[in-house]
Amino acid sequence: MLYSFVSSNSNTMNLLAYIIYLLITWVITVQVGWLFYRNGRVFILHAMHGDVASTDAINRILLIGYYLLNIGYATMMISTWAPLHSWKEVIDSVSRMTGFIMLTLGIIHCFNMLVIYFLGKKNFHLHL
Amino acid sequence: MHTTFNYIAYLIYLPVVILVTWRVAYTLFKNSKVFMMDIFHGKSDIALSTNKLFETGFYLLNLGFAFWIMQIATIGSQQELLEKLSAKIGGFFIYLGVMVFFNLYLFFRGRRVSNNKGRLAPVPDPLFPKA
Repeated sequence: MLYSFVSSNSNTMNLLAYIIYLLITWVITVQVGWLFYRNGRVFILHAMHGDVASTDAINRILLIGYYLLNIGYATMMISTWAPLHSWKEVIDSVSRMTGFIMLTLGIIHCFNMLVIYFLGKKNFHLHL
Repeated sequence: MHTTFNYIAYLIYLPVVILVTWRVAYTLFKNSKVFMMDIFHGKSDIALSTNKLFETGFYLLNLGFAFWIMQIATIGSQQELLEKLSAKIGGFFIYLGVMVFFNLYLFFRGRRVSNNKGRLAPVPDPLFPKA
């Protein structure tokens, strides 16, 4: 059984790659979402002029939306995976796809920071 | 097909890249707190939050890029291993250096803009006057 597991069976290799990839991307998405949830609260609080109840509600909705979007996107990327035949290909493709997801996350994050920056410039109450 | 050299290359590349990115981000964002406090005129909650958000973005972009370029074609000899590994790690370090200087530019620019705003009275916009 161990032999068949490590031998170059395309189906098994792909399955393994998916499991590793999904574990990594889910952990990263949840961690990053939690970080945004905690640190983005101040900005919403300023934008809502100190209305705590609305701020927490909006923050939670944003967090759920973020989770749905990113985990859905990461899971959808699996359908574009090429068949794998060796351990080297598994490592290569998992690292490449994980890197791609992280890059996308980073670019979306920078875009969001820019939006916050321009909103702050427009809105006089923020004093950013 | 022998891929032993590839595994060795990955085993060296991944720890080096992750450790260096962590170390650089740690140093950069430990020292950027001063800039953030200046930019936000000493409001520590929003300054530290912004600092943390920048740090997260820095990690995501750089580690994502590092993983994205990791793939190395099959390596045949020890000499090839060293050459390809050094090219890859060196290239990534140059990219990391550019990112660090870009971040520094953002911090200095933010502080300048914030200082100017503090000194000057807001100029009325002739095209779109505020109500």
